[in-house]
Amino acid sequence: MSRRRAAPATAAGALALALAGCISGEYARATFDEPIPAARLEQLQPGQDDLGGCLAALGAPHRVFEYRVGPDLSAGMALLWVWRAQRGFGVELSSPSDEVRGSLSFDLDGIDLPGCMLWFGPDLRLEACRMGLVGELLAWRRRPAAVPEP
Amino acid sequence: MSRGAAVLCLLLPLWGCAFARQDTNEPLDPAVVRSLVPGTTTAREVVERLGAPTEVVQLGRRSAWRYDAATTKSTVLFLGIVNFANQDTRSDRLWVFFDERDVLTHAGAWFGTHRTQYALPWEDVHEDADNAARDAERPGLVP
Repeated sequence: MSRRRAAPATAAGALALALAGCISGEYARATFDEPIPAARLEQLQPGQDDLGGCLAALGAPHRVFEYRVGPDLSAGMALLWVWRAQRGFGVELSSPSDEVRGSLSFDLDGIDLPGCMLWFGPDLRLEACRMGLVGELLAWRRRPAAVPEP
Repeated sequence: MSRGAAVLCLLLPLWGCAFARQDTNEPLDPAVVRSLVPGTTTAREVVERLGAPTEVVQLGRRSAWRYDAATTKSTVLFLGIVNFANQDTRSDRLWVFFDERDVLTHAGAWFGTHRTQYALPWEDVHEDADNAARDAERPGLVP
């Protein structure tokens, strides 16, 4: 079959599959909250800025974590901001038949979200700030330790 | 009838659009948030004004409480073979930090639920002027 005759046949086949609910394409965008501008983060001065100043500059974070707990229960904290602005194409294939069950989907969405994190010492003075993917920013967190033997 | 018109007629019944909105928690009241005074307001007073928090985090001897709300607006345009979807979520967030005597030391807030918009994925939304106009319409946000 020539390429010129194959194109309408392919289109008709795709149309038939679409009408049967077997194939669909999607262009989608998902946004979640607003990104912290890098310039605003660069204005923060580790060793000088404190918790109050950083909250005033960046607003409320999404999560707060305990950080560097001392034997006297003094502790610092880590604040995390996260946002999402993704768009991409996706294709979904599925079977409406009882004999051939299942579905397959494919999309170009990322698997990790951007964010930024600020670390404060027990005196609530800014120690460090970093922008990156949330999975990397939280890499220092450990899963809870196992219960000790009785 | 041309072939294109025939395809159009076949696809026409598949076309449509859908809108959905999902709200999680009540939006925070900016006037109530402004009434919280570090060094004076106690944890008990925060509960009386805002109710139970969504999350409590222990920070050594200190603690931090999270209050939040979120609004999601979804738009989907169905065109048969290809669909277009947009989902926009914005949140209100408040973190209050207490010392070991349960007195407020710091508070940080963000108000965004009123900025959520229905849109199609190629539309530009949340420009500065657009956000400013929506901020002005939210009671108590702009003093």
